[in-house]
Amino acid sequence: MTSGCLARMVSSDVKHNFLIHYLAAAAVLLITPVIFGLAELDRSMAALPLETMPPLMGLILLTPLFSPEQNEGILDTVRSKKTSRQLVIGMRVLCALAVLAILIAALGGYMKYNSCEVTLGMCAGAFAGAAALGALGFFSSALTDNVIVGYMVSVMYFFMDLFLKNKLGRFCLMSMSCNIKGSKPVLAVTAVVLIAAAMLFRRVFRNEQ
Amino acid sequence: MLFRLECKKILRSAAFLIYCVISVLFFATNYYSDCKGGVYLGEGTKIVEDHDLIMHGALNSLMGEYASNKYVCYPFGYYKAVHLKDKDQQKIEGYLKEMTGTDDKQFEELLASGEKYYLGMPDKPEYGFGDIKMTDGFSYDRFLEIMADTDDMLGGGSDYAPESLTALFSQVAMNEEELEDEYKTFIEDDKVTGGLARLFCDYNGIVLAILPVFVAAWLTANDRKRRMHELIYTRDISSAKLVLTRYAALVSTMFIPIVLEMIIALVQAVVEYKGESLDMTVMFTLPTFWLLPNLLFTTAAGVLITEVFSAPTAIFVQVIIWFKATINGSRMLSGQIGRFDLICRHNSPVDRSTFLMNQDNFIFSRIFWTVISLVLIALAVYAYDAKRGGRFNDIRLFGKDGLLRRKA
Repeated sequence: MTSGCLARMVSSDVKHNFLIHYLAAAAVLLITPVIFGLAELDRSMAALPLETMPPLMGLILLTPLFSPEQNEGILDTVRSKKTSRQLVIGMRVLCALAVLAILIAALGGYMKYNSCEVTLGMCAGAFAGAAALGALGFFSSALTDNVIVGYMVSVMYFFMDLFLKNKLGRFCLMSMSCNIKGSKPVLAVTAVVLIAAAMLFRRVFRNEQ
Repeated sequence: MLFRLECKKILRSAAFLIYCVISVLFFATNYYSDCKGGVYLGEGTKIVEDHDLIMHGALNSLMGEYASNKYVCYPFGYYKAVHLKDKDQQKIEGYLKEMTGTDDKQFEELLASGEKYYLGMPDKPEYGFGDIKMTDGFSYDRFLEIMADTDDMLGGGSDYAPESLTALFSQVAMNEEELEDEYKTFIEDDKVTGGLARLFCDYNGIVLAILPVFVAAWLTANDRKRRMHELIYTRDISSAKLVLTRYAALVSTMFIPIVLEMIIALVQAVVEYKGESLDMTVMFTLPTFWLLPNLLFTTAAGVLITEVFSAPTAIFVQVIIWFKATINGSRMLSGQIGRFDLICRHNSPVDRSTFLMNQDNFIFSRIFWTVISLVLIALAVYAYDAKRGGRFNDIRLFGKDGLLRRKA
């Protein structure tokens, strides 16, 4: 497949299926300054918005990546095409992660501009948490073939995280605010494992090439 | 027959299974673990509606925030520092002078008496006051007016919101005798299970304001996914009967785990409080009255929004409603129930008097959300009927016939 063809495919997919999700994730970014004060925060206070809002962006961006083909008719049409479905899903994941990185960088940059103690490491940590939560939704929807279940699992994990915090140990999304060491690498690895497991599951059990 | 079929369909779905797992997990990690080993009263506090105490606390707090020009607010449940412009600072200064009965010079002296300290930012000092006194005979009504205006200037969510003043500034520590009285009330007036039922509802109310939307959205969107619309539309059954039967099936099945949790909570209470005289019915009656409106509303909203828009939209909207409802109560876990609160909080098995203080608001809110739920489900019937008759299609932003679709 030529790169031009791939680019056309990605742009069409984004335009028709995922633009609204990108806009919703951007809306989460825009409402962050309304919910949180984002000026002159020390390290621990700055961690709170950075660990609360990006996971929401992650679940909005990654969870629905299987949704366009949930309709049996569309799935049949897609199956009849030569293009590898795994490649299409892989491109969707990369696009979603790229948008997530841009949004988190924008949030971190805005906070830095407003004299908050934000570091690159904190932004990377926020990205790991967001990717892990999104990957959990992605994995659940791949497993059940149901995007609603994907949202359900990821949204409820996020809310349980708000309530249980320390009890979740290294899987806590708010580890910087709760002062839990070594959590972010675990979340990053979890994100990669869940995405790979979802793809593998679809390849083996759903016969998607 | 249809009711039984719908129940069967829901009970076998992955969404319902996950609903049960999360509900039980939440119950076990919060209520069950809290109540293990009996109620711990610890160093309790109580809310006294003492106007002098409220005015003194609020005045000293406002003085400190004015001196630093840093007003801590929680408009959405999260920390937000508000810095006022000169004009608003002058207005606050005027209020402070009025409340303390000081002129310019005396006020400067008062300001200088504050304790300076640093929190977070090394170049931004903050100030603490504790001994500033209100001018003698200052009217409480005028004080409330000032506080309401201050809260408005700060954009809401501050410590000076009139509805928060009592709970925030008139909490006093209980002495040993009062703690004993509190426990006696728990045993004799609440008959143990009354207090425990309130805690049970506090935790489960949070879950029931969000989880049911997923199951409702799944069931409602299922027809669309399986392309069953045309088949169902042509049947004899009326739209009202179909939508209401599905709604009843959703509510009934989703209440099953809650009833099982009530039974577990009652058994736990019987084991933990052997020998005490327990009220065996209140663990069922109070949670039904408290929690059913949450379930009714969340399910109705899920059905209506999925019918009119789509399942993700229903989830998105309910998450926002839930987020707002939860963070409203996040600073005051007990002692404050509003008339329009979807999630009523009382995170304590004791403190009966505080709950009774809010009883009118509590009853109003339960009736209010029940009525709203019935209105929403009536609208869902109307929307379904209009779709069936070809008078209305889903409202979509993108895709075929989407509002934002560019015409060729």
